Amino acid sequence: MQQPSHRPIALFAALALTSLLTACSSPANREGMTPPAVVVSKHFAHSLSVQTGGGNETGALDSSNISDADLKAAIEEAVVQSKLFKGIVQGNAGDYELNVRVASLTKPVFGLTFTVEMEAGWSLIRRSDRSAVMRKSIKSSGTATTSDAFAAVTRLRLAVEAAARDNISQGLKSIAELNL
Amino acid sequence: MKRFLKLAALLSFIAVITTGCAVNRATGSVDPSANLTSLKSMYVKKIPADDSTYALIADKLRSKGVTVTTGSDAAPSNVDAVVTYIDKWMWDITMYMLELTITIRDPKTDFPLATGNSFHTSLTRLSPKEMVEEVVDNIYKGAK
Repeated sequence: MQQPSHRPIALFAALALTSLLTACSSPANREGMTPPAVVVSKHFAHSLSVQTGGGNETGALDSSNISDADLKAAIEEAVVQSKLFKGIVQGNAGDYELNVRVASLTKPVFGLTFTVEMEAGWSLIRRSDRSAVMRKSIKSSGTATTSDAFAAVTRLRLAVEAAARDNISQGLKSIAELNL
Repeated sequence: MKRFLKLAALLSFIAVITTGCAVNRATGSVDPSANLTSLKSMYVKKIPADDSTYALIADKLRSKGVTVTTGSDAAPSNVDAVVTYIDKWMWDITMYMLELTITIRDPKTDFPLATGNSFHTSLTRLSPKEMVEEVVDNIYKGAK
């Protein structure tokens, strides 16, 4: 009597193990970085353009990073949701120009609970006279545990996104304290 | 079981050789409200555990015409900028600098005026001096 072949099961298990060990990291996504419902004390009747820098793309063997484009989109979405400014404009237009530059993003390598530290420089420039009305270093952190995600690559991405959300939330609240 | 392990080893090997082993990044950015060329004196704030990177950064900034002092205490009040850095090291046969981030800050507010970052994994590793040169050059490329 012929023995049943275990080759398909072994192949499937080997593929699953391989994909688990070599899982690619994914970048922090814009939806994950957008803070939900930031409550601000003021609503300015001005338009705003947003520029971002200091971010990095996420390579296949890299850990989760924040790209400039995704950070810009998350900030713009948060500004629109909070109604902090009358509207968002693109390019060299708008009454004010917000520049957000990632100065550092410190990520852990090992652990069950991942805490990511982020620092970004926020500057707001009045376009009419190019004067800086705000220049502030904003430090934030985000934590993700195994209850958030079991896979380390996902857990790290969630921690990065949480740090970005916190940073954006603090940044918008700082702007709301200004008299524009 | 032996067959499974052989398959796993083979697939892992294929995955490693097809996904590559080198990650390289080098970025630099300057805030539009900052004017780097006006910063003539800087203070490199030494990390207590570091014994060489701060000196490499100071030497590189001097080559840009900046008067540089170093120390691990609070910055003196008469400097135009404070320079901080984060260096990450990794072991692969020997120790090497995996990542270096250098930030030039406003001494009064701590605001990051300019930041540069380089990241090179083992196969494309650079010496600490080369890492410092790459980061500082990238920062000054974006200067007004």
